[in-house]
Amino acid sequence: MIECPVCSHKEFTGALFCQECGAKLIGISGLTTQTIRVKVTPPVPELQAEQAINNTPAPPVDVAIYLHILDTGDVVPLEGTGEFTMGRSTEGYPFLPDIDLAPYSALENGVSRLHTSINLGIPQALVTDIGSANGTWLNGLKLSPNSPSPIKHGDILTLGKLKIQLLIRR
Amino acid sequence: MELETFYDRLDLPRDATSDEIRHAYREMVRRFHPDRNINPGETELFMGVQEAFEILTDPDRKADYDSNLPSWAIKSDPIIVSTIYSQKTLTNVPEPQLIYLLLNLGIRPEEVNTERPPLNLCLVLDCSTSMQGARLDSVKSTAIELIRQLQDKDIFSIVKFNDRAEVVLPANRRIDNQNAELRIQLLQTGGGTEIFQGLDFGMREVRTFWNTKQINHIILITDGRTYGDEENCLQLADQAQSLHVGISALGIGNKWNDSFLDTLTAKTGGSSGYIIKGEDIRQFTIEKVVGLAHIYADQVTFHFETPPEVSLSYAFRLHPDITPLGTSSPLVMGAVPYESSQTLLLEFLVKSIPAISEEVVLAQGRLSYLVPGHLEKISYIQRLVLKRPISEDFDSSPPPAAIMHAMSRLILYRMQEKARADMARGNVKDANRRLQYLATHLLAQGQRDLAKSVLSEVAHIQNNKSFSEDGEKRIKYGTRSLLLPPGIEEILR
Repeated sequence: MIECPVCSHKEFTGALFCQECGAKLIGISGLTTQTIRVKVTPPVPELQAEQAINNTPAPPVDVAIYLHILDTGDVVPLEGTGEFTMGRSTEGYPFLPDIDLAPYSALENGVSRLHTSINLGIPQALVTDIGSANGTWLNGLKLSPNSPSPIKHGDILTLGKLKIQLLIRR
Repeated sequence: MELETFYDRLDLPRDATSDEIRHAYREMVRRFHPDRNINPGETELFMGVQEAFEILTDPDRKADYDSNLPSWAIKSDPIIVSTIYSQKTLTNVPEPQLIYLLLNLGIRPEEVNTERPPLNLCLVLDCSTSMQGARLDSVKSTAIELIRQLQDKDIFSIVKFNDRAEVVLPANRRIDNQNAELRIQLLQTGGGTEIFQGLDFGMREVRTFWNTKQINHIILITDGRTYGDEENCLQLADQAQSLHVGISALGIGNKWNDSFLDTLTAKTGGSSGYIIKGEDIRQFTIEKVVGLAHIYADQVTFHFETPPEVSLSYAFRLHPDITPLGTSSPLVMGAVPYESSQTLLLEFLVKSIPAISEEVVLAQGRLSYLVPGHLEKISYIQRLVLKRPISEDFDSSPPPAAIMHAMSRLILYRMQEKARADMARGNVKDANRRLQYLATHLLAQGQRDLAKSVLSEVAHIQNNKSFSEDGEKRIKYGTRSLLLPPGIEEILR
């Protein structure tokens, strides 16, 4: 038997998808909701958004992409490859984003439950607004929903009012 | 009279073993022995079987017969079967396991030039009171357009029904357009919906010119629920299947019984479709008829056996005409079109791995079908064995993309099926949780409208403890349409 990583439903060996919640049971690493350890790295003190653009930290070397939350200075690593949805979790609501921004004042900043997705594709990483209520901006330009845009190291993503800088290692 | 070999008489492939010949003969005796049979013509059928059996079980006469088979009888099988499995091997573990299979039926390249067979088509139209207005207007204009597009060789008829049925246009070739259009324009609504009445008259019309060298098909267009005659309808579908007559159904609006029409049409290899607005009748019907005109092999049926430790746990046709299928033998698979192929997705549950064996047979049996465009031999039988080797280690290589792609959409349809089953058992909580998961996946796949329908259904269920008739069908046919090749979804919207 195998266990669904999302809902813990037991499935027969050889099952490709969970019959209970529809989650993919093949190659699940990197596609499941990840627990993000808050304050993984020491906060960068007193770093303002404007400064951050000029003082972009060097691209990290151990993982493909980091999210640098400009308001709090937290740096969140994305592990694995593939597509990550970003948004905020709500109690009692079944939608879970891969990257939960709730600990970073997502609600106050107008982040939707499912807001934006980042695809660490090769050769080009892409960002897509997945129908958020308050929109996504890439370096100040508003993205039209559901159409992917290429992203590069140092880009600033704004989800509602939450500013995130992308640190990408290539 | 269609040409047939002694093997055909016994429903056997040409390389049948003597055991198979004996087994098939015993089957036939059970069905057609003069002491037992009831239908006219079956005694003659039995005599033919008897003759075939006597010759094929005598080694000398069999060898003589085989070496003198005419050229039409020894052509290679016109259908090519290919398979894609989710895993290369089954694992030798002491627990049940699942394996998925994409079964593809294509046609031999030289067969593409086979002449297109004529259609023998009957439109069975619901003219109950609820069809009044845009629905009936749309049906009328669709019927008139169809008649104009018929070829001289095609046979066409129209039956209308409410509480009783009436032949509007008797089955015929080269229909007089003016007369037919006048009769169609005079159609009026009134009364209830008794589907059996309509289908019964439809079958009679199809049988007027019935033969196996054409595509015999009934298209039922209804917007209502039939009461009390479901059993008769299903019996009629069985009868239609034995005569190689397909039945398709188009349901309009939210009152018709989709589960019933799915069961009915699946018996004959057909399918059901759902439209919300009357204006969409035309597109659906025309596409259906165009599909019928492109059938190469009709009434493909898989008579199979599974070993005791294996069962077919799910079967679904992905192309043409997406529809769920039954899981018991015979598997009525439907048609194989000229231009593309037929694709099924099968799920087998292997409960245990037999000791001392190197492979597991998932299913084996014979695939039978008609090729109406062939001039000499029309019905074919070919062997089909589905099996997998056993390995000690789990095959951890990723499943083929084609299977993952199909399954990622089929799982949504199955979640919807399960939510309906939950509701049927009165399990509101599970159904709601499942629908919420479904909505999440739909959003992730960019299906926002459908996701919204699902979420509004969740709210409806919370308030009313039941599905809304509209939402139930919208979700079912919406998730089904995700399996369509791109570009066709619009029909079902």
